[in-house]
Amino acid sequence: MFTIIVRSILIYCIVLLVFRLMGKRQIGQMQPFELVLTLIIADLATIPMADISIPVLHGIIPLLTLVIMHFVLTIFTKISTVLSKILSGKPVILINPDGIDYKAMKKLNLTIDDIFASLREKGFFSVGQVQYAIVETNGKISVLPKAEFAPSTCKDLKIKAQESFVPITLISEGKILKENIALANLNEEKVTNLVKNQTNAKIQDVLVLTIEQSGAGYIQLKKDKGKTFQVQRLVKT
Amino acid sequence: MKIFHYINFFFIFLFLVAICIVEEVLVSSSLESVQNQCYNIESVIAGKDSLKETQIVLMVDNLEYDWVENESKLCYLVNHISIKELSYEISHLKSCISTDNIEDFKESLDSIRMYCHNYLHFMGANVHNIL
Repeated sequence: MFTIIVRSILIYCIVLLVFRLMGKRQIGQMQPFELVLTLIIADLATIPMADISIPVLHGIIPLLTLVIMHFVLTIFTKISTVLSKILSGKPVILINPDGIDYKAMKKLNLTIDDIFASLREKGFFSVGQVQYAIVETNGKISVLPKAEFAPSTCKDLKIKAQESFVPITLISEGKILKENIALANLNEEKVTNLVKNQTNAKIQDVLVLTIEQSGAGYIQLKKDKGKTFQVQRLVKT
Repeated sequence: MKIFHYINFFFIFLFLVAICIVEEVLVSSSLESVQNQCYNIESVIAGKDSLKETQIVLMVDNLEYDWVENESKLCYLVNHISIKELSYEISHLKSCISTDNIEDFKESLDSIRMYCHNYLHFMGANVHNIL
């Protein structure tokens, strides 16, 4: 049993490494050849885990070979657009201004229900609202709505909007994030004072503290409701 | 970062090549050594009626010792089950000496040689094995 435990840990680490080397794409974002590799890897990894008569290398070697294969294919798809089309396919226009392209629908092996489900996911409940729908190489559908159904923007409404900033998390679950403090051009003392001024609590009691470049912040204690606050605009580093 | 990415893949590639070479060398040398020792034992027992001779006992002990050493290394690379037959036949050689059964002894030697020959063919890199 000890052997199986150690083997499982070892193979888990290798599979983790393999997936890290393959990149951060999720299942739904994978190209066909990446999905095939992922499925094979998942299957290969389990073989030497339970069968101790098989050397663990018999599981690791195919995994590493597939990593190399993936690496080579990725390079080739970047170099050659023809190979990229063969391996990953090309985007297909499924809905155009004339309606659903029946030929494309049959070619992609989709049903009307599949198309409607994808459109609903994108927030469109009628084909009439859609100008174009394109099936991407990873199987996802991108939708361009007709002008009258497109969400209005500030530019459309001629409103001058303020730029928004990404909030920086300064404290997470009672711990000061030093890298983020430096990013916000603050120091620990300033953060401690900020917490004291806003809640009169200790750093350890803070669940989350975030701050934006504009000085808008949010603080929540572990045992209290959250609240927003406004301080001086942060100085850019 | 991109450079590290390429270096990672280069090292993995090197590792795969190294493993292939190590396997080829280790398996070939181990099995060829067993085959050669079997030929030597066969030439010693040729024309003899009894196995209870110090030279034969020593040669079989030597064969067993070498095999145990090599087997522990081979276990990293090949399936244990596929090489256990060889261990079984080598043990059988020893029991044949204690019962002085020369016919069974010769059969076991033949089995070991045949096994080594077949396994060398089975593990080699050739089109038959790949397909």
